Amino acid sequence: MGKIFQYKPGARSAFDGIARLSLLREQSIKTVFFFTAFFAVIVVAFILLFLARDGYPVLTQVGILHFLLGPDWAPTAVVPLYGIFPLIVGTLLVTIGAMVFAVPLSIGCAIYIAELASPRMKNVLKPAIELLAGIPSVVYGFFGLIVLTNFIRVVFNLPTGETWLAASVLLGIMALPTIISVSEDAISSVPQEYKEGSLAIGATRWQTISRVLVPAALSGIAAASILGIGRAVGETMAVMMVAGNAAIIPDPIWNILSPLRTLTGTLGIEMGEVSAGSEHYNALFGVAVVLLIITLIINISAVAILRYLKEGRTGGHSRKPLISSSTRGVLVRSARVLGLALLLVFLLVAAPWWLAAPILLAGGMWYFGRSYLSENQVQTIAFWLIMGATLAVLVILVILLQDIVINGLPALSWEFLTRSPLDSGRAGGIYPAIIGTLYLVLGAIAIALPLGVGAAIYLVEYTRESRVTRLIRTGVDLLNGTPSIVFGLFGFAFIVLYLNVGVSMLAGQVTLALMVLPTVIRTTEESLKNIPQSLREGSLALGATKWQTISSVVLPPAVPGIVTGAILSIGRAAGETAPIMFTAVVFSARFLPDSVFQPVMALPYHLFILATNVPGSSANKYGTALVLLLLVVGFYSVAIFVRTHFQNKIRG
Amino acid sequence: MSETTIISTSNLNLWYHEKLALQSVSIKIPKNKVIALIGPSGCGKSTLLRCFNRLNDLIDHVKISGEIIIDNKNIHAAGTDVVTLRKKIGMVFQKPNPFPKSIWENVAYGPKVHGVNDKSELNRIVEQSLRHAAIWDEVKDRLNDSALGLSGGQQQRLCIARTLAVEPEVILMDEPCSALDPIATAKIENLIDMLKQDYTVIIVTHNMQQAARVSDYTGFMYLGKLIECGKTVQIFEHPNEELTENYITGRFG
Repeated sequence: MGKIFQYKPGARSAFDGIARLSLLREQSIKTVFFFTAFFAVIVVAFILLFLARDGYPVLTQVGILHFLLGPDWAPTAVVPLYGIFPLIVGTLLVTIGAMVFAVPLSIGCAIYIAELASPRMKNVLKPAIELLAGIPSVVYGFFGLIVLTNFIRVVFNLPTGETWLAASVLLGIMALPTIISVSEDAISSVPQEYKEGSLAIGATRWQTISRVLVPAALSGIAAASILGIGRAVGETMAVMMVAGNAAIIPDPIWNILSPLRTLTGTLGIEMGEVSAGSEHYNALFGVAVVLLIITLIINISAVAILRYLKEGRTGGHSRKPLISSSTRGVLVRSARVLGLALLLVFLLVAAPWWLAAPILLAGGMWYFGRSYLSENQVQTIAFWLIMGATLAVLVILVILLQDIVINGLPALSWEFLTRSPLDSGRAGGIYPAIIGTLYLVLGAIAIALPLGVGAAIYLVEYTRESRVTRLIRTGVDLLNGTPSIVFGLFGFAFIVLYLNVGVSMLAGQVTLALMVLPTVIRTTEESLKNIPQSLREGSLALGATKWQTISSVVLPPAVPGIVTGAILSIGRAAGETAPIMFTAVVFSARFLPDSVFQPVMALPYHLFILATNVPGSSANKYGTALVLLLLVVGFYSVAIFVRTHFQNKIRG
Repeated sequence: MSETTIISTSNLNLWYHEKLALQSVSIKIPKNKVIALIGPSGCGKSTLLRCFNRLNDLIDHVKISGEIIIDNKNIHAAGTDVVTLRKKIGMVFQKPNPFPKSIWENVAYGPKVHGVNDKSELNRIVEQSLRHAAIWDEVKDRLNDSALGLSGGQQQRLCIARTLAVEPEVILMDEPCSALDPIATAKIENLIDMLKQDYTVIIVTHNMQQAARVSDYTGFMYLGKLIECGKTVQIFEHPNEELTENYITGRFG
């Protein structure tokens, strides 16, 4: 040891006098972070306030019962009728159909990824699923409109394929990634000891999966399905492009080949055509309020389940379960009987024979043959089904990608990327749309990033769980569950009209920023929580202040996680149509905007109009879809790369 | 040895990635005795234990050479059914790992997966196993409560009952008392003493007093090798190897 630093009592040290100043600074920094965190709550309050303000008149004029249960939606008739009952039923039916399609596939796929796949296979599948999540909804809608509805039209010999079935299948596909990744997470987080305990008793892998792992992960899987439902209910563009949009209740009620119309679709179609302040306009805001309430209930219940699970996992074993195991058994059994009965009735009464026959046959064979099969044979059958589900998901992804890539590639050229559109987009390029989209997302992330990071820092570093943080968290969750079309309506009512900003790039940027704010907050929170507590303690023990600790010890290693979140947000914002449809975009602009107060072109909106309103633009449609897809997928791949690169670095 | 041998290994090597975790281990496990495996942390005791029911199969990048013979059969031979093997070789883990189910369900799980569906038969097995694991009196009135509400020691005895319910021949115990307090430990040790009438117990422990108290035979492992194995009295009082003596007298480890 060399010379030791000597402390002389009473001597003036270089550190005197700094203390007060830093205390003041610490306090003001904390205040700033508090306000960024509280911003989410303010936004939610404003959304509710403005939707209610513009939606309230319809309730006084039409009456709440007539509005909710009225059988006819005919806002443009001579005597306008504002009954949204068929729209609610439409939303419900489309969602149920989507879940029937998506939940079994997703659970199969999740089990495969969590339990059966080799590590290498996992490394292929997980990014593929995330890719599926990254595809913009307007691209799904475009694919549905061109490929899926056509397929349904031909197979069922219909005049048009725009039906409930098409909407449900498309929404089901869109809900797959959410359900798969959350369920996979739930299954993978079941403690390894449960698995070892079961295998050590001599249970087969399938017995372990079906009797221990899946039951233990059941609440997580349920939450995943509810999140999927939330996504399906809130989806606008895709469903609007394939559902046929007739505001009728299918007759008979199980006629999946009937067109129908959802709450979101109504907003997307009619919002652009009403004059602000009219009765029709108010009715649409009434629809938005109903939609918002439905999605909020759905999302809050999912979040509550997931949070409950998380606490259960970290909070020790002593807590009592929600319902006692005996009532739970009764519940499960009666749910099973009820479900089977419903299925049977549906198959015998409603389903076409080609659907009913194989299902009944398989069910019968299972029921009577089960006792003759050995556990190994059962396992083989189960694994084949699981692999079949995974394969189906992959096939869907491949069909979608290859259709757009093969048809879109010929349209891609230097001119296409650098020219303005001509002849309503049939000819020319999409340069202004590309630039417009980039402007929009960069502006949005510039607004959302500081707010979101600040909020996350406040939530993780500055507070313990309290009533205030719970309020803030709820605000973030609510914001996260708000359908994108509702953001669009809010942006229109508040920014465009109330603040008198006009339809402009700025209005679009702010609206998109609000939409991606929860994603930024969550990913930042996640990466801050991953920083070991010992680092903070080490810094604080040296006498560093809170902010010094955060800025020099906690934040630097969290940067890759924050960047990942930001890029994911950019990707999401770039693909969104609904929030900018009424706030920021025009279909055709020869020039780029000079200031943020002018409207812009954007890729997703351009694709939407080309696909639905401009006949004969086939090559450019596909070209636009491909460019949008590449752009968004590009952002997602960078995010995934940053994340995995960073993870590998941590592991060493 | 006059006893019948139930498990024997010869020249067992195990690599984890490139690391040699077990090095030419040859051991004979006599039937209906308690065998303790002792040694410093990381010496391979647990790895060896997990070889016997092939639970190492769950871990990626594990390579094994040499033979493990159980009941005159090589357990790595082609066509070996690990499910049957694991039914025969039960295991109790370091940390109690009851399933998030009721107490009854936990014990009945094993018989159920092996095809017992008759409710009264299951009730009989559950009661018998819980009695055998000396926990029946403590839980008989709350069989439908969640197993996660039990204390750590009770959970561990429940896990033993769960193992007994499938009627194994051998019970592997991987430091079963390391997460328990002295009173719970004493109960488990008494239980082990009772179990050896019907079962062969192989217990890994880093507590030498425990090994001396409960076992008939003791194997000392060091750096992946089985240094020596013999009657517990002999190992603790007149070890053949200097290494063993150093460890037992506390000169390292």
